[in-house]
Amino acid sequence: MTLPIALDAMGGDFAPGEIIAGARRAVDELGLNVILVGVLELMGDPLGLEVVACSEVIAMDDDPGTSVRKKKDSSLVRAAELVRDGRASAMVSAGNTGATMASALLRMGRLPGVIRPCIATPIPRPNATPMMLVDAGANAECKPEMLVQFAQMASTYVRAHYGVDVPKVGLLSIGEEPTKGTPLVKETHRLLAAMSTLNFVGNVEGRDLVPSPVDVIVTDGFTGNVALKTLEGALKFVFATLLGAIATNETTRAAGDVLLEYVLPVAAELSAENQGGALLLGVDGICVISHGASNATAIMNALRVADEIDRGGVTEKLRTTIRPDEAA
Amino acid sequence: MSADTVAPLSRAAILELVRDQLAEILEKTPGDIAEDVPFVDLGADSLALIELVEALEESLSTYAAGFHIDDEDLEGLTSVRDAVDYVAVKLQVA
Repeated sequence: MTLPIALDAMGGDFAPGEIIAGARRAVDELGLNVILVGVLELMGDPLGLEVVACSEVIAMDDDPGTSVRKKKDSSLVRAAELVRDGRASAMVSAGNTGATMASALLRMGRLPGVIRPCIATPIPRPNATPMMLVDAGANAECKPEMLVQFAQMASTYVRAHYGVDVPKVGLLSIGEEPTKGTPLVKETHRLLAAMSTLNFVGNVEGRDLVPSPVDVIVTDGFTGNVALKTLEGALKFVFATLLGAIATNETTRAAGDVLLEYVLPVAAELSAENQGGALLLGVDGICVISHGASNATAIMNALRVADEIDRGGVTEKLRTTIRPDEAA
Repeated sequence: MSADTVAPLSRAAILELVRDQLAEILEKTPGDIAEDVPFVDLGADSLALIELVEALEESLSTYAAGFHIDDEDLEGLTSVRDAVDYVAVKLQVA
């Protein structure tokens, strides 16, 4: 039997109820092996799943670094330790993103040569593999060398997980010309353009996030997170406006009856809950970060992604990705 | 020296330890880690410092069982020199 996936039962806006329900569905519908990590007194019914008991919870507003040091018996830290100790194949959490990264970093360690892990969030594309946005929020401040590593790791991930042989990499900026952007962007552009092992196609702009013409978009974690949340908000707004228009009168409602049959599957494809979470690239183990507002479906899909990454040997492929001399 | 005895650490050895561990965390060579340069100027953010603290605690537990750096003291540690002095006092190095 494969190792279980350690699921932080206490993390997320709808924890522990939706988290445990998602785990149960992953076991029943996908045949996955899942172990919950949580505080027994706060968890309620574990729905027949195995539980690793702990005594603390890292809250969404706790400071990432210090909370991991102070709350050593928290569900997040214990989940990371299960991976470190070879008792779980991966960890999944919808909790405090910064603390999830800190737990994984401090307990699992970094892959060789990696300056700092980054969050790789898949952005769906119609009839194509998702575009990978890195960094989606792990590192608010970055150096050019870090962005180069993010591009290297994301390319390896996209190649290994989605089968894209030569992923196209774009650098998020405010214009296509290499001279556009902040000093960070311009220096990163120079470094990426000099790399023979990456298929760097130049700068891309915010409008290239959807549908993206490239397979990887690299940026710093602050910009990446703003871009991601802007995209989420815009999509919600568009669908809400569309539904509002459909509900206007009898005629539009009749039209909606026809239209929604085609629109709702598209909305489902684009929704965060079906994407399955983001992979933390650069740590020595598998850590999937699910959306804070994850429901049971989102958790089930995050567990599915963690299992696929494990089976695909992505971490082993990432282990040899970083060659520090290339980024010099 | 018996198997249970560990040679005391000199200040120079602590400096070397701190430098080596910080260099590994920041992906730099130890020679690039100057003693007086603030951590922030070396590119070490708060998470990197937590990594350093945890690595030091693990390494120094060999010399003092349960060696611990108090979180309240972290604010006062702004450079390698601060960290070395702090550890030296904790380990009562002359």
